[in-house]
Amino acid sequence: MIPPSTYLALPIMVILTIIQTAILPHFPIFGVVPSLPFLVALSWALLRGANEGAIWGFIAGFFMDLFTAAPAGGLALTYMAAVFSVAMINEVLPANRLVIPMILAAAATILQWILYAIYLGLFGYNVFQMISTSLLPLVVLQTILILPIYWLFYVIQRILWPRPVEI
Amino acid sequence: MDLNEAQKRIRWVTLTVLVVLALLITILDRTGNLDTAFNVIRNPMSAVMGWTSVRTTALAGVIEGPRDLETARDEISSLRQQIDTLERENEELREIEGEYQLLLDLFNRARQAPEFQRLTASVIGLDSNQSIRSIVIDKGAADGVRVGMPVESARGLVGQVFRTTQNSSQIVLISDSSSAVPARLGGSRATGILRGGGVGGSLTIDWIDLKHQIDVGEVVLTSGLGGRFPQDLVIGRVIEVDRREAELFQRAVVQSAADFDSLEVVFVITDFDPVDIEIFSQIE
Repeated sequence: MIPPSTYLALPIMVILTIIQTAILPHFPIFGVVPSLPFLVALSWALLRGANEGAIWGFIAGFFMDLFTAAPAGGLALTYMAAVFSVAMINEVLPANRLVIPMILAAAATILQWILYAIYLGLFGYNVFQMISTSLLPLVVLQTILILPIYWLFYVIQRILWPRPVEI
Repeated sequence: MDLNEAQKRIRWVTLTVLVVLALLITILDRTGNLDTAFNVIRNPMSAVMGWTSVRTTALAGVIEGPRDLETARDEISSLRQQIDTLERENEELREIEGEYQLLLDLFNRARQAPEFQRLTASVIGLDSNQSIRSIVIDKGAADGVRVGMPVESARGLVGQVFRTTQNSSQIVLISDSSSAVPARLGGSRATGILRGGGVGGSLTIDWIDLKHQIDVGEVVLTSGLGGRFPQDLVIGRVIEVDRREAELFQRAVVQSAADFDSLEVVFVITDFDPVDIEIFSQIE
């Protein structure tokens, strides 16, 4: 069964991919550009669980795959895997809306990059130099940026799926 | 089966389906079977990207401008002090302008009487993946752009068309780690394969025979070998030579003529047909 939030993910990820490709590269921070679709998928996974997170991660990666010269499917696979993994970890961690999202954002970013480097390595790409120079600033950036995105989607989620109240 | 167990099963089924789907996409993309389907999605998105990109430049200017009145006043004061200096420099700049005009005329002449036809295109996006060096331009199959066409800037070779949609194309830059361009050094006539170093890496030509004496500053051009690029397109200059007599080959590090970080306009060479020489290697 396809979760209803999938239909929300499609237009959101289309818009975020356009922003990511046409706008964000003009405004690098510490020389790197954060991945908005990835952070949104991750936020959704932390709010709604690993199942929906995997779908959001896949959709985010799929649209990003359309505008990269690397083999398609790689970002879909690695976004999904990283988001799903940290969402699973999140389930066993204590509920916290500040520190835990930041720690998991850092972990997910590192995991996604490692997986993607391995994936690209299978096709003859050498991106390990990129990892050594850009991973640290990217992890710092995404660790900070997860908070506003997480809270924005927390509000959206509460509006769309209000918490049931027993009377 | 309780509800919790059913949910777990759904989760793992979803994950398995998505992994299989992603792998299927990879296989179909590598075999070129997804281009048409993907272009249905890419075409409208590229159109929006083009529209967005033009406005982003203006937005970037606004964001980088003075953020409040106090900052603006400080800047006015600072700018007044600079006026005197700038007036002095103005005279020098007039001279430089003359030289620039001369170079521009030379460039235009070269374009008016070229061996190749060039299609001017604006850069509307960068690769969505930071570890890959590619750009998106606003000209596509409808404008006559085809996969494999070489792309250059006013200063030198930029890359090659990797894929096209109706209204846009993706160009893999020669600085990408997957790029390999047959190159020749202008002075020593040594040939080799110029490889991109990816993000943060350098362009290098490996496996150059030691019999060639390579000098720093030598111009690097396309050799035309392999049939993928025309001959004699400027790539850049040698900035470092790694030569050890104990080894069989030497290596040259190349500074590209084109500045890949500030590409705004590029030229697609539209009347060069890449030659597929793979057929010769298949003859038994």
